Amino acid sequence: MWVAVMFDLPVVEKTERKAATDFRNTLLDMGFEMAQFSVYMRFCTSQAQIDTYCKRVEKALPDGGKVNILIFTDKQYERIITYQGKAKQAAKKSPDQYDLF
Amino acid sequence: MIGRIVEVADDKRHLFASRGFMVVQDTEGERKELGQVPLDDIAAVIANAHGLSYTNNLLVALTERGAPFVLCAANHNAIGMLWPVAGNFQQAKRFDAQIAATLPTHKRLWAEVVRSKLQQQAAALEAAGAPVAPLAALTKKVRSGDPDNLEAQGARRYWGLLFGNDFRRDQNASGINAMLNYGYTVLRAATARAVIAAGLHPTLGLHHANEGNPMRLVDDLMEPFRPIVDLHVWQLQRIGEASITPETKRSLVRTLYDDMQTNSGATPVMVCMQRLAVSLAQVYLGERDKLDLPLPGLPLSMAASLADD
Repeated sequence: MWVAVMFDLPVVEKTERKAATDFRNTLLDMGFEMAQFSVYMRFCTSQAQIDTYCKRVEKALPDGGKVNILIFTDKQYERIITYQGKAKQAAKKSPDQYDLF
Repeated sequence: MIGRIVEVADDKRHLFASRGFMVVQDTEGERKELGQVPLDDIAAVIANAHGLSYTNNLLVALTERGAPFVLCAANHNAIGMLWPVAGNFQQAKRFDAQIAATLPTHKRLWAEVVRSKLQQQAAALEAAGAPVAPLAALTKKVRSGDPDNLEAQGARRYWGLLFGNDFRRDQNASGINAMLNYGYTVLRAATARAVIAAGLHPTLGLHHANEGNPMRLVDDLMEPFRPIVDLHVWQLQRIGEASITPETKRSLVRTLYDDMQTNSGATPVMVCMQRLAVSLAQVYLGERDKLDLPLPGLPLSMAASLADD
């Protein structure tokens, strides 16, 4: 299953920018990867894990702005249609339990 | 949680930590990023090539999370492992209990482990269509501390029955042996992680007594899980796979995620190991009597794949 965190944060004041960067970095520290600007995704293996990350995101929320957390299944993830410019990109797969480099 | 096994098997790789990720980079040419894995998801990193480099920062981050960093020699055998000084909040208390455990306790626990291993070996033989009777008979005869060394007697018959009488188990050979070595390396890394997370000392074993082995407890506790790897290798060689390739490795690593039957339902092998290690700590602390071993029988997915043939 996948957790997607989408956010719009105010970046007018210097303190707001700082808060936005901190939030973004916290997401990266938790293992969320950037899918697009302000959209971060993470793969989870169980509902318990999803709950944990949702709680941790909630803890890290900055004061202003709006944050949405979306949860979808591997199948739904594989059905995402992606374009880069006009070119359609291949569908992505959920990660394997074994990574070879 | 069930983690991911990351293997780095190609020379010219640089590994480092960046925020919450382990990043793998190609050291040739443009230093292209080959991929990244969230640090929290890593169950073990297997460093299996010569030309690797890694940052101290990465090793610290992995160790903080209790994910062993396994160093392999050219024949895929693990020769070293990096693990945390403290793996559990009660570690000191548990070490004390472990050291204070009496010889009778150790003998009784070792008998439980041997019995479980023989049961799993019998299940593997049954699945491979070989005679089970010799091992099933031994299972009933295991006494406290296994003074008759039924473990070795079982192994002697088992290898012949599973891979034929010409087969010799050899840590340095190629082919089937290399696949077994690889499977055991992965198993050992996962067991080491479980032992350390349970706050036990990996050197203080139940039975293995080799003075040169710092991982005696790990080697004790992984015994019941070896037959799953054996059967997997048997399956691989039957479909014509005879050596270590990225595909056979991937398939061997997957045994860690197979579901085994336990008292509380079907559970992945990796989680069974964690339960076993925790149950051992509880036995030492006097909180329970018996080890939490997997029930006899094959992992579900493996039994299903054999039934299909």
